[in-house]
Amino acid sequence: MTANPSSSVRTRASVFIDPRSPRFGAGITAVLLLIVIGLSLADTQTATLAQRATAPGFLLFVAVTALFAWGASAGVQRHPYGAIFRRFITPRLGPPAEREDSAAPTFAQGVGFVITLVGLILHLAGVPWALVIAASAAFIAAFLNSVFAYCLGCQMYLLLVRVRHARGAAS
Amino acid sequence: MNPISIAASLLGLVALATVLGLVWRRGQGRITTPSDVRLIAPSSLGLESWAPGVTLLQFSSPLCSPCKTTNVVLSALAAAQDSVSHVDIDISERPELATLFNIAQTPTTFILDRDGALRARIGGAVKRDTVIAELDSILVAA
Repeated sequence: MTANPSSSVRTRASVFIDPRSPRFGAGITAVLLLIVIGLSLADTQTATLAQRATAPGFLLFVAVTALFAWGASAGVQRHPYGAIFRRFITPRLGPPAEREDSAAPTFAQGVGFVITLVGLILHLAGVPWALVIAASAAFIAAFLNSVFAYCLGCQMYLLLVRVRHARGAAS
Repeated sequence: MNPISIAASLLGLVALATVLGLVWRRGQGRITTPSDVRLIAPSSLGLESWAPGVTLLQFSSPLCSPCKTTNVVLSALAAAQDSVSHVDIDISERPELATLFNIAQTPTTFILDRDGALRARIGGAVKRDTVIAELDSILVAA
């Protein structure tokens, strides 16, 4: 028998997607972030705002950040990488053994967006290494997601719940 | 930075991420048996009683795909044996439980005997064989 004292909380409609699709997208993101880091490490012209805002590594980083924003706001099922996956990869792999709720990878896109946005702002403000550090953190998350099927929502979400609860108990 | 140092940095980053991933994967589904006996009251989870054999107490969160696979495995095990039950608790509705039981990830599964003693806990997606082995050892001893 299975009991569920707190029955389903899901109120918004959930979309079920091929779980390999977000992992494929995270792979592309990881490669792009490696390129961002490489270009930024090679870049020595970071004295003025104009130099920082037009550096190739930075421009690619802006594109990655925008893609995270897209995935987080429109839902991962409407991400362009998802369209590439369905068009070119799905026909070669066949249908998935199981499907997953798009809410979890969409949450991960939101986490990626926050990390990259902070790096982007700090870099423009002239904080040294901000871009490289933010891109490295986002790379590690994307790499773990893609290669190891690491579930960011399983860890981060609980952390948020606990912090919120601790704060509520303290006040 | 010169090209060689850049390449070395990028390789180092990939290596670091790989090590982190391997460590994380090793911990997934691993069973730990607490050294001291901890009794959990069924009322603390809004339940009337524990199962006559073993209760599989799962903690889940809404944004968690492995929670769903774990739910499928555990509910099938519970359905196969009358004395075993499965309870799935959404931690977002009971955030105090995360602090109380020191739950760091979802899914986390507690294996409780009929007295409500915490016999084992499993972090991450469960492996069916691990759970069966633990179930058998508790049910045989009882």
